[in-house]
Amino acid sequence: DALLSCHRSYRSRPTHGIGKFKYLLPKEVPKKRKEKVQMKEINAGTEYQYGDVNIQMTSYDLCLVEHFAQYVHRLCNRLSIRVNESYAMPTKTSEVLFLEERGSKMQLDAVLTTHQRVVQICGLSSTFAPILLEIIQSNQPEGVHLLMKQHTEADFKSRLKSRPELEELLAEMS
Amino acid sequence: PCRAQPKKKKKFDVKKEQAQKERMKKKLKKLEKAAPELIPIEDFITPLKYSESNRVRSLPTLSPEESERRVLLLKKWCLFKQKQDEAEKKAIKALVESQQEALKELRLESEELFQAAIRRDEGLFPFERDGPRYTPPLPGYDPPEGKCTDITKVYTQ
Repeated sequence: DALLSCHRSYRSRPTHGIGKFKYLLPKEVPKKRKEKVQMKEINAGTEYQYGDVNIQMTSYDLCLVEHFAQYVHRLCNRLSIRVNESYAMPTKTSEVLFLEERGSKMQLDAVLTTHQRVVQICGLSSTFAPILLEIIQSNQPEGVHLLMKQHTEADFKSRLKSRPELEELLAEMS
Repeated sequence: PCRAQPKKKKKFDVKKEQAQKERMKKKLKKLEKAAPELIPIEDFITPLKYSESNRVRSLPTLSPEESERRVLLLKKWCLFKQKQDEAEKKAIKALVESQQEALKELRLESEELFQAAIRRDEGLFPFERDGPRYTPPLPGYDPPEGKCTDITKVYTQ
C-alpha cells in the first residue's frame, strides 16, 4: 500500500523533474577565499607617459585628509585618469612633550596622530601632468602636506607587517 | 685515544649541522608560505567606548522661520558651489585647449622642439608641497623646549 501510493516521478514519465527550481535562480558566485596580498607589477611608463604615480596626502586632521583624498579620486575619475588603488597608510601616533619653565621634568602636552592617504594613478600623459598638479595644488586645504612620487617596491613593503623571525632566519642562512 | 676522539667530533658536527640546516630550511619554507599581511589601519576601527554607551543627543526643535532660513541658505550655497565648480571646469578646459594649440604651432615651427616638449619631465617627481596655513608665523615667538616621541604600535607577523 505504501509502495503504490508514493509520489515519486519516474525518469520516463513527463512529470520528471517537476519540483526543480534551482535552475531558474541566478548563478551563485562561489565564496572566494582570502586573496593573498601580492605586489602588483609596477608600471615604469614610456617616454610620453608616467607610470604608477602615488599622490600621498598627510595631515594631523583625519576628516580633512579623508575628504581631500576623496576629492582627488573623483577629480581623476572626472578627468578620465586611471586610478589603480586608493588606500590608507597606517596612522602614526606621536607624543609631544615640552620642558616646564621651572623644573627639569618633561610634561606631556598632547598626543598627535598623523594620517596618510594614498591615491595611485596610472597612465598620466606628460602634457597633462603639470595641469593636474596645478589643480591639486590650488585646492589643497590647510595643514595637508602633498607629496607626488613614482611608486616603488619600498612603498608597497612599508604597508606590510614586519616579520622579524623570517628576517632572522634569512640572516642566519646567508 | 688521541686519534679516535677528533674523528667522532667531526662526524657528529657534520651530521648535527646538516640536521640544523634542514630544520632551518623547513622553518623558512613554512614562514614563507604564509602570505604577508597588511598592517591594520587604526582609523577604520571604531574604539569600543563609542559603541558601548547608550546616551543619545536630543537636538532642540527648530522654529519654521529658522528651518526655512536654513533651507534657503543651503540652496544659495549649492548654487555658489555649482558656479565655482563650473568655473573650475571651464578653466581646465581652457588650459588644455591652449596647451594643445601651442603644441600645434610648435609642431609647425620645428619637429625637433615639438618632440622635446612632448617628453616627460624627470624633474617633476618627486614633488612636495606643504598646505597653506591659517595664520602667518608670529614674529619673535620663542617656543618652549621639548621633544616628540613616536609611539606607533609596531605589528609583527
